[in-house]
Amino acid sequence: MGLLRRWVARQFTTRVIVLMPVGIAINIVLGSTVQQALKLPIYLDSIGTILVGVLAGPLAGGLTGVLANLIWGYLLPAPIGTTTIGPFAITAGVIGLLAGFWGQLGVFRPRRGGRASVLAAAVAAVLVGALALYTYARAYASPDAFVNITGFGATDFDRSRIFFLAVMVLYVALVGTALYLRRDVGAVFAIGSGLVTGIVAAVVSAPIAAVVFGGVTGSGTDALVAAFRSGGDSIYQATLKQGLLSDPLDKMITSFVVFFIIGSLSRRFVARFPNGENALGDQTEPTPEAAEG
Amino acid sequence: MAIELSTVRYRYAGASKPALRSIDLRLDSGRVLGVAGANEAGKSTLCLVAGGFAPRVIGGRLEGSVRIDGADTTAIPPHELAQRCGLVFQNAATQLSNTTATVFEEVAFGPCNLGVPVPDVIERVWWALRAVGVEDLAPRDPARLSGGQAQLVALASILALRPRYLILDEPTSELDPAGTALVADALARVARETGAGILLVEHKTDVLARIADEVVVLAEGSVALAGPAGTVLADPRLAGLGVELPARVRLERAVHTAGLEWPAALAEAIE
Amino acid sequence: MSQASVAEVRGLPDYVTRRPGGFYRSVNPSTKLAIAAIEVVVAFAVPGWPMPLAVLAAVLATAVAARRLRGLVIVALATSPIVGSILLINLFLLPGASDPIVRIGPLAPTWSGLWFGLQTVVRLLAFSAAIALVYLTTAIDDLLADLARRGVGRRAIFVVGAAVQMVPRTVERAAEIVDAQRARGLDTEGRVWRRARGVLPLAAPVVFGALTEVEERTMALEARAFSAPGRQTLLRVPPDRVVERILRWAAALAMVAVIGFRVAGRLG
Repeated sequence: MGLLRRWVARQFTTRVIVLMPVGIAINIVLGSTVQQALKLPIYLDSIGTILVGVLAGPLAGGLTGVLANLIWGYLLPAPIGTTTIGPFAITAGVIGLLAGFWGQLGVFRPRRGGRASVLAAAVAAVLVGALALYTYARAYASPDAFVNITGFGATDFDRSRIFFLAVMVLYVALVGTALYLRRDVGAVFAIGSGLVTGIVAAVVSAPIAAVVFGGVTGSGTDALVAAFRSGGDSIYQATLKQGLLSDPLDKMITSFVVFFIIGSLSRRFVARFPNGENALGDQTEPTPEAAEG
Repeated sequence: MAIELSTVRYRYAGASKPALRSIDLRLDSGRVLGVAGANEAGKSTLCLVAGGFAPRVIGGRLEGSVRIDGADTTAIPPHELAQRCGLVFQNAATQLSNTTATVFEEVAFGPCNLGVPVPDVIERVWWALRAVGVEDLAPRDPARLSGGQAQLVALASILALRPRYLILDEPTSELDPAGTALVADALARVARETGAGILLVEHKTDVLARIADEVVVLAEGSVALAGPAGTVLADPRLAGLGVELPARVRLERAVHTAGLEWPAALAEAIE
Repeated sequence: MSQASVAEVRGLPDYVTRRPGGFYRSVNPSTKLAIAAIEVVVAFAVPGWPMPLAVLAAVLATAVAARRLRGLVIVALATSPIVGSILLINLFLLPGASDPIVRIGPLAPTWSGLWFGLQTVVRLLAFSAAIALVYLTTAIDDLLADLARRGVGRRAIFVVGAAVQMVPRTVERAAEIVDAQRARGLDTEGRVWRRARGVLPLAAPVVFGALTEVEERTMALEARAFSAPGRQTLLRVPPDRVVERILRWAAALAMVAVIGFRVAGRLG
């Protein structure tokens, strides 16, 4: 019991307590103001959660996600406040927890490399994508197998292959961009973790969205839900599919942004967080020092 | 009763070079010790180390010993460090907790954290506000204060903890001359009336000339000059160490260089 | 000590104790939360029209009495996108509906779709209104002070309070960054690919800006004994009454009962 208390206490140092409101504010502001400016089919409201998770650990990350949703939904007045965000606090909590574990595994550690390793990483990403695609194609080698295994309708089979291909292409594209911008091999892992987080988030969100407002959230993704439902899907199936289209994309982009940001922060700053050591690369300091202590 | 640093060497977590190389320093109760030096000389680090916040709050590696009234700072938890040694930083806005609606509650934040009973909290708040001279700001919203006022409120909120020592890291750097004078006078008054030992890091050597008893000049993490304020602030080596001479000293120099007399009456009038 | 200072020392100044006044605004924050909770549960758990409509009516009446109707209207307007979506989707796509209102080519809006859509909308409005009423009639300060009195730790209180304070400032900063980047040629109107390239140039400065103060704020908190153990002293304690305690317990029991009945299938 004492060990558990200490594990908890270690993750909630004063510095983490100061970081959490910043994470919450980042979530809310990027998810509203910036998202409105760009009008992309992503949420962009988890950057703060994942950042806190990676720097401070799973509990702090999870709590940041939960509180951000609750505050966004129930404590802030319109137009920023949106009451329908509240129930998704569960998803946000899971995202934060996952981010904490990724962080402890060192997934977000910058791994700068020379030309050779960057090239190798790019090739590896493409190979991983191709391999995943091949595995997928073999696993669901025929429409019947697809229907039997996943329970989705037969018409989804073709769509899902295209979707899977699109996700893999996007993965490779994001990794490529990261490698181009920062020559940082760690991008492969970070963006990969975003893919996994996105899938988990979609699975967790689908029942919530289905139950609370029948799959409707007032954002552009409702059109997708409508399309799926007009194809004969139940509310749950429609929200799950919509989630599987939006969440991996959103979380991969989010992880990419968080990875970039962590790699740009000064070592001094990162080192002082409970999980900071796992997010530090090797000695050479990137320039400039973006957040000074 | 003093803060004593003996052969102190300190390196920040994640840094390759030490920020402080070999510091021997003593801050006595009731005295004002000024610290000057070029940028990156280690002045801010010295504040954190002397106050015990390094390594207790920010990690890093400390060699040598730092003792507050004989007690080793590495063995004191942060909330007790805060009661023995108050730390004031340069940016007033980030020192305010941003969770209080009035200056009164802001100054009460520290004592309330300690669980001090309400009547004592009230007494401490008024005492601190008066010591700094800002009682009339008590009902105001802390987010709407000017830079100088905010810095005074930050100082008051630290005083409310009744620390025996005060360490201030460039408290007037973002203030105009009027605000600077307010803070300097408040500090001198606090030293006089409470007997607190004050360590004041300042670029504005005029402030040091005004209220410091002793001055230490840092360069590259070590003590380059130390001694009574008047002596150190008139030392010709200051310019080479990246420290601006106080206005009075510059005037005196200019007068001497022009071959004119510097009459004692004039010197006294400026004091 | 002078007369004035003796009087001051005796008690807290008014501007610190500031009791909220006005109908419903003077009610204890936790009571308002409990009322909102039971309203939400009732609106969702009890099928049919009467409950959500009753909740909506109750909230509207309270808002009028507390002179907060305008705020409620703003909240209702803010929900119009999702209201529109719900109505449209259910009107045209309710599975199994077979009573069309009219046929317009391939589109066939149905009566049952409209009915179900309207029901969902009323439920949504009841939910939003019940929650909005709480923050329209309660200052965050009071809510946090009440939670603190009930034992919520100072760190949680700080996180929520600081977050709420930070959001408006960060929104302003984000708007400035968007303008600045647009002036530098960032494309926010073009094709999806071009807009996607704007994510990093917009998100990164906002995050960096928000992070710069973390170190200083941490020091400032530690310098004010924030990490001291034990309970903190509370200067402000929102008033509470026995009547309200009873009301809260009643609301809690009612919530359990309603959820229980719903789960047991007794509500139909």
